[in-house]
Amino acid sequence: MSKSINNKLLIDVGSTYFKVCTVHGVQQHFRDFNKDIFDDLTYKCGDIIHNYHKDDVHVCSSANGGLSTLIIGITNSFSLKYATNIAFNSGINIIDTVLYKEIEQTSIPSDLIDVVIVVGGIDSVSSIFDKKLFDYLEKINYSNIVYVGSEKEAPYLKENIENLVTLPNIITNKLHVEEENLKEYLTNLYQADIMGKEDIKHLYDITSNQIYSTPYIVNKTLPLIDSKFKVANPYILIDIGGATTDIHYSKDLVDENMVTENEYDRLVFKKLGVYKSKESLIFAAKNNEFVYELLAHLKVTENIFDESGEKATRILMQLAIFLVLCKVSTYRKAYVNLKLNALNSLVFTGGITKVLKQEEIEDIVSFFYKKILNSAHNPTIVMDNNYDIWTLGMNPEKN
Amino acid sequence: MSLLQEERNIILNNEYVDNFDFAEVEEFVKNASKNLFISHNFKTKNKMLVQPRGGFPTYNKMFALYEFFVDADVDVLPCTIDSNTRLNDYATAKKMLRLSEENEVDMLNGFPLINHGYRTARKMMTHFDRPISLRHGTPDARLLIETAIASGIFEIEGGPITYLLPYSKNFPLDKAFLYWKYVERVCANYSKLNEPINRESFGPLTATLVPPCITIVIQLLEMLLSLEEGVKSFSVSFSQTGSMNQDIVMGAVIRKMAKYYSNQIGVDDADIHLVYHQWMGAFPMDPNFASQLINMSTVIATMVGADKIITKTNQEAAGIPTKEANAETVANTQYTLRILKGLPNIVDKEEEENLTAEVMAIMEAVFNDSADTLWRKVFNSIKNGTIDVPFSPHIINNNEMITIRDAKKNIRIIKRGKVPIPDRCFEYEKAQCDLTKDTTSIVNDIIHDIGIMQ
Repeated sequence: MSKSINNKLLIDVGSTYFKVCTVHGVQQHFRDFNKDIFDDLTYKCGDIIHNYHKDDVHVCSSANGGLSTLIIGITNSFSLKYATNIAFNSGINIIDTVLYKEIEQTSIPSDLIDVVIVVGGIDSVSSIFDKKLFDYLEKINYSNIVYVGSEKEAPYLKENIENLVTLPNIITNKLHVEEENLKEYLTNLYQADIMGKEDIKHLYDITSNQIYSTPYIVNKTLPLIDSKFKVANPYILIDIGGATTDIHYSKDLVDENMVTENEYDRLVFKKLGVYKSKESLIFAAKNNEFVYELLAHLKVTENIFDESGEKATRILMQLAIFLVLCKVSTYRKAYVNLKLNALNSLVFTGGITKVLKQEEIEDIVSFFYKKILNSAHNPTIVMDNNYDIWTLGMNPEKN
Repeated sequence: MSLLQEERNIILNNEYVDNFDFAEVEEFVKNASKNLFISHNFKTKNKMLVQPRGGFPTYNKMFALYEFFVDADVDVLPCTIDSNTRLNDYATAKKMLRLSEENEVDMLNGFPLINHGYRTARKMMTHFDRPISLRHGTPDARLLIETAIASGIFEIEGGPITYLLPYSKNFPLDKAFLYWKYVERVCANYSKLNEPINRESFGPLTATLVPPCITIVIQLLEMLLSLEEGVKSFSVSFSQTGSMNQDIVMGAVIRKMAKYYSNQIGVDDADIHLVYHQWMGAFPMDPNFASQLINMSTVIATMVGADKIITKTNQEAAGIPTKEANAETVANTQYTLRILKGLPNIVDKEEEENLTAEVMAIMEAVFNDSADTLWRKVFNSIKNGTIDVPFSPHIINNNEMITIRDAKKNIRIIKRGKVPIPDRCFEYEKAQCDLTKDTTSIVNDIIHDIGIMQ
């Protein structure tokens, strides 16, 4: 446990569990979905919470489902790549990215988008956007819109887009990424979203500190992780939850790095979860050519997809591990391909550590390496059984 | 178990490592011949050590190369690692090694040490009873260094800055610092068992108009990062600049500053050595001219008073040199060193004072960074442009500094970017150059200055 939490109470509100951390350890409580979060939390942990002053209580949450964004950019190599990276590292989930030259052929997302990010060009470039952008924006349903591209385009866009927030360009003249302003904006938006959600807003009755997004906190935790677990860089941390799967990865696992403040980047798979996203997980599994070999390896048939219960959940979690490794390997061209052969450790956190045993995870990981990468590579598997990795990042002095 | 040992266990639990036996390796290092340690050679051999470069993929070819070198009276043998291993791609290195063995064609541009394994490599590395220097260029050299020391290679070249900024586009620099911290600790731990393992920084950097103050600052910082982890034998280095006077001044200043800054961090029991690289820029195609250039480099190394010289060959411009060409250079360099007698002692006070002031100003700016550890101070200083390496391909490098040669071929700074050299030094630098020309002419001059030896 983090040494910095003496006299502090740390609370993580997840979509299925509360985690409450004091100097004596971490407690977990399954959430009662019929109750307001605040009522449920105070009912289960009131005795603990009342021992702490509001200044000493720190809360992070992923219970609001996170924010969603759509990014419109000019190139995959710079604007889309940079904005995607910043969004992921701010704890925002990306619904889609739109390449501007293809904007007229792009399908219109039906979901309500929390924030649209428009980006493109270095500051000396003009005449990037035109009426096509405004026509597209009219068709989609969004709550916020921010522009972080060439400053020469800002007045034109401001004239034509209602409520547009303009921030300094995220692409410098040296084609480097400048992430701070957009990151701050997205973090504040997350905060505002929390404030807007009644049952989370209520949590400010027990804390006077800002409530952060859990992925943001986990990302801060990563450089400290070796003080608690036997891990060696480069490693990845996989958080398989009910709705999404998060991967935090060491940046030397990718060739296409940008200069950022952190040693680690985050990638989120929005529809790879074992509860809320069960259907899309099964859909993704059925579309993977190796899945039937994997099911055979696990000694089950595809009927398992129609079952429920503990065994089915275990199999789904194993599938999720396999699919997520596929998605970041060279087997599937995703937003990033990680050099998984250079991996020294794989850290697992989230609900998965409560369900799967270490050897079940090791089995899947070695199956993946043999089958997909044709390798006998064997990274060490580290389980965050107490689910307390997040406490390392909630260092109140640094927040 | 210490955190370091936990990390070592994970690193060495690799499919390409055949059962690494820590106890056996410790025992081997403890009882290894002192001649294998370059740190011991520095103390006992009263001469400039001569070391070539070179590496072939197969055991037999590497062994033959070493035989050639020994016949040419080499002081230090090289072990140049192939590019795949440098990028931690051991799978490809393994495949290419097999192809090299089966087809008698070199499919790798160096020796894939990890694929050979330390048990096999050790037979060769200890056979000649001479020190071996590991030359690689790897940002994450943790596994390589473990294997090298276990093989009997007791000099490790490189560092988090010098093996990243000239070689890599976007490997994360913060990670490189942490990986090299591991290397320093492993070297420091083994150093307690016998003679010290020597660490050597790679001074040439991009070998493209790098001004002396930048070279020296980076050398000093890598030295300090190494010493603070407990390394007891360290070599600072630089390569021929193109101006004999500037080389001599650099040699004097780097020695003086290395002593000063190691004392500043309370280390006075480490041996610091000076290594000189023969010309590292573009070589002339004509092998006779190349031989003249190599010979001149040897003369300058003697004027500088280097403890070791790293040689080039007269085939440098044509591709990977043969073992014969490599051995010829070693023999010629040894001959030149033997006949160089009665050289004058040259001191250029004005240049030395100017360079010292530049170095100290940059070092002060690095130390004044608000970070809590030295490595992070250095990292921040590179990120914010306090340290700027001309022509580095790495995205973190500021690339605002512009340098050119003056009439005497000294490298001069004409645009300092964010590098905090004092105003008077900057004015002095610019005053040596003709800056009345138009921009196009200056650019053409820079291009000419890069290929000055061709």
